[in-house]
Amino acid sequence: MESLLKLVAEKVINISYDKGVDAEAFLLHDRELSIEVINGNVETLKQAEETGLGVRVINKGRLGFAYTSDLSDEAVTAVVNDAIKISAYTAPDENHRLPEGNNIYPEMDFIYDDSFNQVDIEEKINMARLAEETAIANDSRVSVIERAGYEDTEFGSLIMNTNGLYAYAKGNFGGIYTFLVAEENGDAQNGFSVMVKRNLKDLNPIIVGNEAAQNGIRSLNAKAISSAKLPCIMEPYIMTRFMSLIAQMVNAGAVQKGKSLFADKEGEMVAAPMFSLVDDGTWKDGIASFPFDSEGVEAKNNEVIKDGILQGFLYDTYTAHKSGVKSTGNAARGSFRSLPSVGTTNFMMIPGQESAEQLIGTIKKGFYITEVMGMHTANPVSGDFSVGAAGIMIENGILTYAVRGVTIAGNIIEFLQDIEAVGNDLRFYGGRAAPTVRLKQLSIGGE
Amino acid sequence: MLKKELLAEVLDQALQRGGDFAEIYIEEKKSSNVFCEDNRIEKVNSGREKGAGIRVVKDGNTAYVYTNDLSRDSLIKAAIVASHALSTENKHEKTTYNLTTKQAEFEIKYKQMPEDVSFDKKIENVMQANKAARSLGEEIRQVTIALGDIHKNIQIANTDGDYVEDERVRVRLIASTVAHREGLIQTGYESAGSVSGWEILEKVSFEDLAIKAANLSIEMLDAKPAPAGRMPVVMAAEAGGTMVHEACGHGLEADLVQKGLSVYKNKMGEKVAADEVTVIDDATIGNKYGTYRFDDEGNLGERTTLIKDGYLTNYMYDRLTAEKDGVVSTGNGRRESYQHKPIPRMSNTFIESGKSDPDEIIKSTPQGLLVKKMGGGQVNTTNGDFVFEVQEAYIIEKGEIKYPVRGATLSGNGPVVLNEIDRVGNDLGYAIGTCGKGGQGVPVADAQPTIRIKQLTVGGTSLDDENLQIKRIRRK
Repeated sequence: MESLLKLVAEKVINISYDKGVDAEAFLLHDRELSIEVINGNVETLKQAEETGLGVRVINKGRLGFAYTSDLSDEAVTAVVNDAIKISAYTAPDENHRLPEGNNIYPEMDFIYDDSFNQVDIEEKINMARLAEETAIANDSRVSVIERAGYEDTEFGSLIMNTNGLYAYAKGNFGGIYTFLVAEENGDAQNGFSVMVKRNLKDLNPIIVGNEAAQNGIRSLNAKAISSAKLPCIMEPYIMTRFMSLIAQMVNAGAVQKGKSLFADKEGEMVAAPMFSLVDDGTWKDGIASFPFDSEGVEAKNNEVIKDGILQGFLYDTYTAHKSGVKSTGNAARGSFRSLPSVGTTNFMMIPGQESAEQLIGTIKKGFYITEVMGMHTANPVSGDFSVGAAGIMIENGILTYAVRGVTIAGNIIEFLQDIEAVGNDLRFYGGRAAPTVRLKQLSIGGE
Repeated sequence: MLKKELLAEVLDQALQRGGDFAEIYIEEKKSSNVFCEDNRIEKVNSGREKGAGIRVVKDGNTAYVYTNDLSRDSLIKAAIVASHALSTENKHEKTTYNLTTKQAEFEIKYKQMPEDVSFDKKIENVMQANKAARSLGEEIRQVTIALGDIHKNIQIANTDGDYVEDERVRVRLIASTVAHREGLIQTGYESAGSVSGWEILEKVSFEDLAIKAANLSIEMLDAKPAPAGRMPVVMAAEAGGTMVHEACGHGLEADLVQKGLSVYKNKMGEKVAADEVTVIDDATIGNKYGTYRFDDEGNLGERTTLIKDGYLTNYMYDRLTAEKDGVVSTGNGRRESYQHKPIPRMSNTFIESGKSDPDEIIKSTPQGLLVKKMGGGQVNTTNGDFVFEVQEAYIIEKGEIKYPVRGATLSGNGPVVLNEIDRVGNDLGYAIGTCGKGGQGVPVADAQPTIRIKQLTVGGTSLDDENLQIKRIRRK
């Protein structure tokens, strides 16, 4: 595949040289398998293969972009010409630059597991079946399996630019998921579990099935509570949802546009001292680990917040130029269809010493949060959030009854400063990882 | 465009090892986007794509294979992969499928393809809209204008012998503004889009749209914080049908019903809404954003009455779910692209107009909240619970619109709200959006007349969403 993609990239670079513009060819080849089972039958089996090209042209500081999934000579020529044509219309900005070439990329043999190709499709179907069966068998209150499935993806990425940069690597990963509904006394609640791993042998359908079932069941027969300020425990999943808000705040693009509360706060204490956060594109087994970012800059391990102090922001080449610093290797793109912009890789909290049970055990009366709704409505400029929540009451250090229909409100800065303890149970949800976290208090709006 | 003979050959290959049904969907697409922010053209891009999706169905289960290589070899290979996915049967006899071209029931005429309009022209229009919004004064600090167009040609062929060719063109514009005054930030948002070529400009003025958004953000600077609590809520027609689409429409999609994930399961023929409420999904209205002649599995787009005078009358079906319930498809099988299998989706969904004069509805409301514009939100389709932000709202006192309020959120339950509607206006207002479900986004429109909800929970915390995505609701 590399040689095929390379031919296309060379064509793009050659045309661009001739026209006297800086250019970058970004090629992605992607192969996906997804299996969804229902009652043990394969309801949907999907196999996909796709190759595409995104061409970024920088013409005297003016940016042009066009893409195609048709890699014929004519289409490639047309798309380069489109990108050049478009560059005539965009505003010039001297910070539009392509990264320099001759990079040394970190070795990452763990990002490709050949067993995904060797294992029979039937075995993969059985993993999805096992997750579904396990969930049903876990508890009679599991009433509907919404979706249970297996997925794996393999992708090869090639980047070439007129500065002489050349990068190619391939990676893969797979996952199992179960989404279900648990019902009791006319009350229906959703439960889910997702596991994504870089090695096929690490995927465990039994864990996924059991967790999804328990995840739904623990929310049944929820009560309403009255408004209060209570100590709170965030499940790792909930903490990763809050980290999405933090990810926007440490994005240099947002900082430069005045859309981040963290602007001008570098070197300052922005969180409690036990809170540390990194963005590590090299983390072993991390789903987002790859030798280079979406414009060919080598992956790095970047400290974002250390012992509560903001260390710096995440940059791609454009934002780095604008701020006069070096790219942190955080250019991201969804596919060949879009331009790179700043994004996170493996965005991870540093875990602490205590177990989740120990964190819960010290709370006399508090709220264990298992669900938040409307997190995207939180304001990254002011830091204010007000989201719907559900969870479980903590009484005398023990989880008791389920609670539904409350709102939690506050400000992300106060939230970070109110962190009292960080658990040892670091867990990944996609590219974000967090352990259980205990907060001094949160405002809970109830009846 | 691929030849019918090749499509027939691929279909035969797809059923080589048995199966009830096979289909091939071919798509060729050109799209472009122009994006203006900070008073300048930030981004322009254009894309071309083509690809094929092959589906084999056996006993209600689906194998789906797609590729963007449209060569004969690649299509045959994809068909073989699909044929192996569901079946272990041996080779069947060769079948020759006589593909018959299906006729649409209405025409959509396009005058000027968006790809034939120069970027000069598009940019000029976008910059004029930007300028118009900023002309409203210093308080307007940010204006973003996003213009997008798409031109798709599709071919669908299946083993029932159906063959469909269709051309679909859409243009849409989003204007979003931010107004500042003494530390207070308010946003305004307007969008317009239709199934149309560039002639959309004959009906929609980009400048007016931008001015409307800017005016809204300025007006909301004067707003007081919204009250909290349970109160009567009047939703003006111009608020569009976001609520009915999100909180009820999804529950009427047959796949969610059949999986037991809808509050409307086992409710056919039952009273599910107030007498005044009729809910319709109609893919055949003019040039609305959710309009289509054929759905994405080649069935004719239709008008389907879902709830009639409060009684549940139908669900929205695609081919597979219809077969399962022993009914015919309602023409709601849609997909985002060749990369996705079709599933039941809405088109243009609305609460039908009633009899009341909208002004009179407000006059007869002693106290409550008038909602004129909705924002984003989140919906749990399993139980119908929703939270929506409100962009523009006013306090009603003694039947009069008193003053604007900001930061209101509406929370409640879709099916409950449909029962709580006590007045329905004789007007109708549309909103457009990209509806997400199962990882697929499709263009939709939704509408409602002015309605009054007896009681709804209003939350009063200010929330801003500067995300310039077309109203994309997060669903569970």
